Amino acid sequence: MDIATLKRLEKLNQLALTEEQEKAFLEFFSKKEKEAEALSEIDTENVERMVHVMPIMTVVREDKEIKNFTRDELQQSAPETTDGYWQVPRLVE
Amino acid sequence: MKYETVIGLEVHIELATESKIFCSCSAKFGGEQNDHVCPACAGMPGMLPIVNKRVVDLGMTAGMMLNCHINRTTTFDKKSYYYPDLPNAYQTTQWFAPVAVNGTVEIETSKGKKNVRIKQIHMEEDAGKLVHDDWTNTTLVDFNRTSVPLIEIVSQPDLSSAEEVVAYLERLRSLLRFAKVSDCRMEQGSMRCDVNLSVRPEGSDKLGIRTEMKNMNSISAITRAIEYEVARHIDAIENGTEELVQETRRWDDVKGKSYAMRNKETAGDYRYFPDPNVMPVVIDDEWYDGIKATLPEFPEVKRARYIDQLGLGEYDADQLVESRAFCDCFEEAYAVCGNAKEVANYLISDCMNLLNKKQMTVDMLTLEGKSLGELINLVTEGKVSRPNAKKILAVMFENDINPAEYAEKEGFIVSNDTGKIEKVIAEAIASDPKAVADFKGGKEKALMALFGKCMKELKGNCDPQTLREMLIDAVNKQ
Repeated sequence: MDIATLKRLEKLNQLALTEEQEKAFLEFFSKKEKEAEALSEIDTENVERMVHVMPIMTVVREDKEIKNFTRDELQQSAPETTDGYWQVPRLVE
Repeated sequence: MKYETVIGLEVHIELATESKIFCSCSAKFGGEQNDHVCPACAGMPGMLPIVNKRVVDLGMTAGMMLNCHINRTTTFDKKSYYYPDLPNAYQTTQWFAPVAVNGTVEIETSKGKKNVRIKQIHMEEDAGKLVHDDWTNTTLVDFNRTSVPLIEIVSQPDLSSAEEVVAYLERLRSLLRFAKVSDCRMEQGSMRCDVNLSVRPEGSDKLGIRTEMKNMNSISAITRAIEYEVARHIDAIENGTEELVQETRRWDDVKGKSYAMRNKETAGDYRYFPDPNVMPVVIDDEWYDGIKATLPEFPEVKRARYIDQLGLGEYDADQLVESRAFCDCFEEAYAVCGNAKEVANYLISDCMNLLNKKQMTVDMLTLEGKSLGELINLVTEGKVSRPNAKKILAVMFENDINPAEYAEKEGFIVSNDTGKIEKVIAEAIASDPKAVADFKGGKEKALMALFGKCMKELKGNCDPQTLREMLIDAVNKQ
């Protein structure tokens, strides 16, 4: 993990870290990287991909439309609404 | 130098379901803003997704129609995404084990037949709609489309011209509409296409720099965009007019130009990881075989059968296999009346006219094939005249009626009452002695005036041949 990679991750995650935080993250990630590298020593040839840690599968539901909530109920906790829209800070300049 | 174009497509298809992919909200197009929303698709904390079985059914169906291998254990993954039209800040999609992989689609162009390889088909949720409000300088969010189910069909870069792209898209549309996976209406956004394109010297095995154009939604726009991009790439390579970079571009169909999208975030990596909220979907033999059994005959197989076994002409067969609704109606009607040519005529001319008048597409045909077959029987048995059959058909378009009962009720049954016909003929002759004289004097056309009068009086409920013979007989006796 180098500073360029960290900067890229910051951008992708829309974070602005201080220099101190960056230093801490670099140390943290370098340590984690080493731990993860240890895994590559294991021979995984012919091992089927594990799709889930538990041997369970999903339940599915029938394709049926149900309306349980009104718009007003859903927007009760919204910071801002206009004409039934959720209103958020402008995205694209 | 000669160049060749390398194109791969990502096609998004909105699935024909009643409800959304992970919650029970309506998946219908349109509606009042935020009316098809619940805490799950609004991304409220603690909500868990529950997979809609029909989405998996249709994902499998699409996979089978495109000759794919179906992953019997298929899983969902999270894809990082930072716009408020997906309020979870990720899209739930498939990355590690998509529902279908490794398929092929055969296309035909002026250069002959070609197989296009399908890399994968994955199931995912659509994003909502954002409206940018200049007045308040804010963004307004509508979650109606958030979590509406999609499949994305990813092709290998096997296409090399706009013509091939069009043939590929039309083939996909035909197969998926046939299998009732989606209505595939580009103008309503239920079929959208991302075009990945690069150009390289002919014969080279190294790929050129690739650009992507997103969300193309009409076949003609796609054709224009491809032609523009190919010319732009070649110009850049040959004349150094600009430096080609790997980027996402937006096509402006009005100006006929593509533009680099300013927001470079789309070039980011999506950091896919397994979605711990959705357990693996395991497709057992019963489920798999059940879907396999529902697959329709391919359009070209139907076409060949209609021509070889039912004796239809190529034109009629081509028209019918445009739409599954037409084929279904045709086959049901044929089972009742056994007259393929008559059924094809009614569907291709009369039904098509009625659909056009109502501004409906062929897939919106709801006419009962059985009733159409019964109507055709009434016509071929001489019980209802052709003009009256058209009137009955128009009513059948609106209401579920029994054509025989309706014809009886409305007085459309052809009269075999010769006494009545003789009386009408006598009246017509008496009212127009000139026409009688003209006909007897050799003017054959004069008979038409009398014939028309009689038909009108009989409200069309008379076999025209019988009426004509009786009329000539009566006039000659004058």
